[in-house]
Amino acid sequence: MADKVPEWGSASQPRQPDTLSAQPQRNAAVSPALAKALIGLGALATIASTFLAWTWTTSFPGDLSVTGYPGGNQVITLVVGVLLLVALGTAYGLPGLRWLAPRGHVRLLRGLALAGAVSTWYILLAVAIELNGIANWVTGSWVALTATALPVAGAFLLADDRHEAARPPAALPRWAQTVIILAAIISAMFIADYGITTSFTEEFIGFALAVGLAAWGLNSSGVLARLTELNARNRVATSAAAFAAALLFVFLQTSDQYNTIADDILIFATVALGLNIVVGLAGLLDLGYVAFLGVGAYSAALVSGAASSRFAHTALPFWAQILIGVGVSIIAGVIIGAPTLRLRGDYLAIVTLGFGEIFRIVVNNLNGVSGPSLTNGPEGVYGVPDLSLFGYDFGKPHVLFGVTFGKFGNYYLLLLVAMAIVVFIYARVNESRLGRAWVAIREDETAAEAMGIHGYRFKLLAFALGASLAGFAGTINAHLLNTVTPDQYMFSASSPPNSAFLLAAVVLGGMGTISGPLLGASLLYLVPAKFEFFQNKQLLLFGLALILMMRFRPEGLVPNKRRQLEFHEEEVAEAEAHAVAEADASEAEAVA
Amino acid sequence: MTTTVFLQLVTNGIAQGAMYGLIAVGYTMVYGIIQLINFAHGEFFMFGGFGALAVYLWIPPVQHLPLLAALPIMLVGGMIASVVIAVLAERFAYRPLRNAPRLAPLITAIGVSILLQQLVFLWYPQPGGGKVQVGVNAPVQFPTFAGKPFHLGGVLIQRANLLTVIVAFLCMAYLAYFVAKTRTGRAMQATAQDPDTARLMGINTDKVIVVAFVLGAAFAAVASITYGLRFGQVSYDMGFSAGLKAFTAAVLGGIGNIYGAMVGGLVLGIAEQVTTGVLANYHATQQWGTAWQDVWAFLLLIIVLLVRPQGLLGERVADRA
Amino acid sequence: MTSTMTTEPGPAGAVGTSVLEARGVTMRFGGLTAVDGVDLTVGDREIVGLIGPNGAGKTTFFNCLTGLYVPTSGDVRYKGTVLPSKPYRVTQAGIARTFQNIRLFANMTVLENVMVGRHCRTKEGLFSAIGRGPRYRAAERDSRENARELLDFLGIGRHAGSLARNLPYGDQRKLEIARAMASDPGLILLDEPTAGMNPQETRATQDVVFKIRERGLAVVVIEHDMRFIFGLCDRVAVLVQGRKLVEGTPQVVRADERVIAAYLGTPYEDGAAGAREDEGTAS
Ligand SMILES: Nc1ncnc2c1ncn2[C@@H]1O[C@H](COP(=O)(O)OP(=O)(O)O)[C@@H](O)[C@H]1O
Ligand SMILES: [Mg+2]
Repeated sequence: MADKVPEWGSASQPRQPDTLSAQPQRNAAVSPALAKALIGLGALATIASTFLAWTWTTSFPGDLSVTGYPGGNQVITLVVGVLLLVALGTAYGLPGLRWLAPRGHVRLLRGLALAGAVSTWYILLAVAIELNGIANWVTGSWVALTATALPVAGAFLLADDRHEAARPPAALPRWAQTVIILAAIISAMFIADYGITTSFTEEFIGFALAVGLAAWGLNSSGVLARLTELNARNRVATSAAAFAAALLFVFLQTSDQYNTIADDILIFATVALGLNIVVGLAGLLDLGYVAFLGVGAYSAALVSGAASSRFAHTALPFWAQILIGVGVSIIAGVIIGAPTLRLRGDYLAIVTLGFGEIFRIVVNNLNGVSGPSLTNGPEGVYGVPDLSLFGYDFGKPHVLFGVTFGKFGNYYLLLLVAMAIVVFIYARVNESRLGRAWVAIREDETAAEAMGIHGYRFKLLAFALGASLAGFAGTINAHLLNTVTPDQYMFSASSPPNSAFLLAAVVLGGMGTISGPLLGASLLYLVPAKFEFFQNKQLLLFGLALILMMRFRPEGLVPNKRRQLEFHEEEVAEAEAHAVAEADASEAEAVA
Repeated sequence: MTTTVFLQLVTNGIAQGAMYGLIAVGYTMVYGIIQLINFAHGEFFMFGGFGALAVYLWIPPVQHLPLLAALPIMLVGGMIASVVIAVLAERFAYRPLRNAPRLAPLITAIGVSILLQQLVFLWYPQPGGGKVQVGVNAPVQFPTFAGKPFHLGGVLIQRANLLTVIVAFLCMAYLAYFVAKTRTGRAMQATAQDPDTARLMGINTDKVIVVAFVLGAAFAAVASITYGLRFGQVSYDMGFSAGLKAFTAAVLGGIGNIYGAMVGGLVLGIAEQVTTGVLANYHATQQWGTAWQDVWAFLLLIIVLLVRPQGLLGERVADRA
Repeated sequence: MTSTMTTEPGPAGAVGTSVLEARGVTMRFGGLTAVDGVDLTVGDREIVGLIGPNGAGKTTFFNCLTGLYVPTSGDVRYKGTVLPSKPYRVTQAGIARTFQNIRLFANMTVLENVMVGRHCRTKEGLFSAIGRGPRYRAAERDSRENARELLDFLGIGRHAGSLARNLPYGDQRKLEIARAMASDPGLILLDEPTAGMNPQETRATQDVVFKIRERGLAVVVIEHDMRFIFGLCDRVAVLVQGRKLVEGTPQVVRADERVIAAYLGTPYEDGAAGAREDEGTAS
């Protein structure tokens, strides 16, 4: 019974052969050739339609009224149209392109066709509704409407051809692998950049619809799994490419406007990754994690030379602030962890939850009135000076390689380094004696102890490491925000980072992975920030999302397969078949 | 500090602790049976208060009754609200995860907790108008006893406090009877000890779990009404800190032990009141008083976990290999 | 009986010095005495069988030896020194075990499972994991090679990369043995290693235990399969209701009336496959 539900960090269950698709059924009504032609025609028309105007006024945001080149959401439609053409290449079996659909191309086509259609129709509908009536549509609108519908029709007329992933014919040469990784990551960066810099709700929704449906198509065609495998095999190249892409992002920004969002996401994601060591690797549920961010932030702010600090005249260099922030966080972590980690896991949840609350109460009360004077109470420590490292003042604009970096651009660079450090630590620790000990404790603590692992010591180490990474991020956060107040660090609040959102980022993204919490944090930050109509319902939807996620995809968006590549499953199946055959043979012997 | 002042603190602590205990019973029963820390239990508690208030506000004749007569009717409303929510949560959020790994239901519970809080925050009708108003941020007023407190020696006993203690006693007496004497109660004990064997013996464990949720929620509703009566208000976020305290009480008493829950509640309530009261009483320690109450409660939890991790009435259980 | 007494040589075949000496081990759970004053001596490279009906206290006795339970009274010595009372220290000292109800790290790969077993023979901590100096890499390589060797030794090397949970049942039991052996123990405790195996697998396991002995280990094995036990062990101890009823060579035990009455039911005959307890696989 228990095997039905996937475990944390579990591999996917043995894939059930899709009875429908096991043998591609011939659809008698329409020949595949016709369906493919429909898709091709539609894709071309879709591309063409984005060069037409979709409405005649400029009152809809993201100018759609220009004939001659695509604008606003037309860009999304255009890109999807082009991708559709490429995907069609796989259907025609073009050499090289087959690589894109190891598990069948029909779902890829369906996903992309839907992505184009749904996001385009959504925008056209929004035009009609917001500008009061279809009268606002022009010829281009009708062209786009029809053109994006054709591939959908075509793709769903094709019989589903989903099958077991085909092995790539031969391992690609190293350079080709690197190029593919680089291309994939840079594209991902452009997509993220587009999402972050969308300037109005409709644009973001159109974008989200397109990305979501396309991702579904890419996932079911098996190309995402193939990319993941490629990334896992070339970890150095992947990390370098990801870092380069993240750098590229800030160079693409023409103003500091979106860098603030990017900074917030980076902080959030970095802290989530730190939490992932505690929750994802060691299996310790820390519900007060944001308090360690707060401890680091307060520690740094107090000795930063801020005028409102108790130690206003102590302006330590940044490295010293980091040491203090990290040190105090570790001490707090050990104080909380030492008594609780000896006990059953559930106690930790409640003690950390309590600690999160207590932290807030304590810093609120260390105000000189209801307690000793240290943290300046609810007002917090404000006027934390901007960082200045090696003469580089983070508060002032700088020109690097011809691009102007404002304050948030500067901090973006620093945060990127901080994140790289945390990713590096995570990756190295994950695959080490230490990481194995943590996972073993998470899986079965009694068995782990019987294998010689000092459970308590390693849990405390995980907890302290997690605390120190959050403290580290906190020291930067204090300078980035210039202010540190108690209510920035709550269990739940309508915007990240807070403990509930951090945990959700880890769980939503995928526990025990690196990309999971990064993806989870980005989504959890962007979606509420971009959906203006959510208003005050963000937390409500967040709660609902947690429940649904646990119900339907508890392993998260990026499931942790613990490096299990698909061929291992084949090996096991083979071995099992072997064993059965052997047993049969010996039974036959016995009978004879 | 005079004896009277001290006794006054203890008296207040008992009432506060009885309320913690009533909430803690729900945590402890559910934990005892399915090893789930039901984070949403604080919200079941909150729903009870709002349910009772809804009956009071929406059925005008109730408002004209003397409060003591209105209370049973309000209690029905409160219990319905919190029990219905608890059953729904159990059925649709927790039950599908019965065999999932440990973290899954815990995270679901956090989700349920946030969801319920926000539902009340966003849509609870304001008193009077009955009109839906988005974002009732402020606490909502709850009816209180008009009469003067009783005097016992020099000690003041608030009417609401007295009622709290009486009600808590009755609830615990009923629970003791239920667990020891009824079929369902014994099934519940059996399930807590060994769910698999209990199922083999023909016990409908799903039903037992629902009963645990229902009882816990009903007790929480009672606690919620005493909260309203004592503080004259309820608010959408009152479940968070009350829930946290009550869980602390359950751990103090020994999680899984229903009497421990009440004992832990009383110990926590008294310790909290006495510590803050004593500290606030002296000039040197004055500032460490009321504002730090939750901090002292937390410290108490840490100390108990260090000294007696199985709780006051709990037994140590060894892992069977 | 005092622990200063020298080892009494096992009734038969206790070769060389004693590895394990348990004296008067008693374990009570409230009113229940699960293990009652059990003595057991295991000699160097000796294979000792522990049999008895379900609930006799065999697993509990193992738990007492490995520090999972702290015995109510009695003492346990490993190669002359009193054993510490924490499981991880016991493993460090040189006693490894398997579990009756398989307790693998289900979501780790087979190789990783065995590498975890190597944990207490390696030292690399946080900083060497982050720094990855040559010493770290050498240690990691050693652990990996050791693990691969053990997997091959048990004949499950082909599974190295798959998740432990995906292994067939019999192979999971073998993996438990490999994992236990990774800690380079001097004594290995096997709790029902053939439960759920077919006769072929059981016979193969017997060979594995012999080979383990050849590697210089002493073995204590709990089993319900009499053919397995009597064909394998130098000495057999019978536990009934927490007490040691008889101890001796397989021949002695098999012929003992009390054992037949309390456990075997019918006199054991060589070659009769039916000696297996019906409830043999229940925990
Ligand atoms: N942790 C424990 N708490 C209470 N009783 C236990 C515990 N562990 C084992 N027992 C009891 O001790 C007795 C011996 O069990 P066990 O050692 O598992 O028997 P065997 O392995 O010989 O079948 C059983 O009656 C069992 O119920
Ligand atoms: Mg046993």
